[in-house]
Amino acid sequence: MTGLEQIVAGLEAAQVSLVASVPDTWIGRLMAGVRRSPRLRAVDVAREEEAVAVACGANLAGGRGAVLIQNAGLLNCGGILAGLVELYHLPCFFIVSLRGDHRDPVYYHAPKGRVTEETLRAWRLPHARADHRGDLTAQVKQGVEFSVESRGPFVLLISGEDLA
Amino acid sequence: MTARKPLLDALVAMLTPRDALVSCLGANARYLPHMTVPCPVFALCDSMSAAIPLALGVALQRPDRHVVALEGDGSLLMSPNVLATVAAASPPNLTMLLWVNGRYESSGGQALPAATVDWAALARAAGIGHVTSAGDVAGLREAFGRARAAGAPALVVVEVAFDPAEAIPPYSERPDEIRARFRL
Repeated sequence: MTGLEQIVAGLEAAQVSLVASVPDTWIGRLMAGVRRSPRLRAVDVAREEEAVAVACGANLAGGRGAVLIQNAGLLNCGGILAGLVELYHLPCFFIVSLRGDHRDPVYYHAPKGRVTEETLRAWRLPHARADHRGDLTAQVKQGVEFSVESRGPFVLLISGEDLA
Repeated sequence: MTARKPLLDALVAMLTPRDALVSCLGANARYLPHMTVPCPVFALCDSMSAAIPLALGVALQRPDRHVVALEGDGSLLMSPNVLATVAAASPPNLTMLLWVNGRYESSGGQALPAATVDWAALARAAGIGHVTSAGDVAGLREAFGRARAAGAPALVVVEVAFDPAEAIPPYSERPDEIRARFRL
């Protein structure tokens, strides 16, 4: 199984019903896998804050929503994380492409890479880096279940190499 | 132009137990706990512009429910992109009511940027096929009935009077209570 296939399998195993996304190069590849799944509904949104609200709406309605976005979009989401996810104690699982770290060949992502994990810590968002040397399916499933059980957010950071 | 409360009363009177109501922050969210609403209500007290995408998620997850989203013009001006998102997802069970008074009412009634936004045209341009307007209770009744029967996402633009002296009740429910009671 490729890393991409493992991640999609993790979403399925965690009984995610809806995946809301704004793509970048990596997330776009992942969403192509999501669209191939008969068990996941892909919802294309125009801004990342919408993705958070759509996923929370699915959760409120008895499903399990997930958010697939780039770290630039995550940085947009401070307000809705505070005013919706945290305030109402709603589960919200994120897969976020960590652009701009040492593994990213694209120079213009570097400023985002420098601040993403520090921002997550400042926002007190539970998060982890995906590890493609391990079981990505289990990492995704654990992240979803953490968000459900804690009634809050969980962010799994991925790199392009995790999709291979 | 009609005051908010008679319009909200008329809307609530048209809801059924099979509906679900998602309200933006502000006056609507503050009035609703004091009203007898026949369906589950999720009312925001923060997060401007979240009501429509939140309602979209509910509508997609529960196609057996008709979901009604209440949003304000200040909130939608902040993220009109959501109209295209709704048009793309095209849930047949989502009706959006846009309350237009040109004010950020919940923060003190400050005016929106001084532009005349044609909300109906904006929604149509974003791909919302069923768009109507209402400026009084009778108009709202007719427009809402047509919107919920449209079989496609619909938007009703509701022109509502701004009254700085309106005695809007304060928020009276905690977010955890609101979430816990929202059972579909």
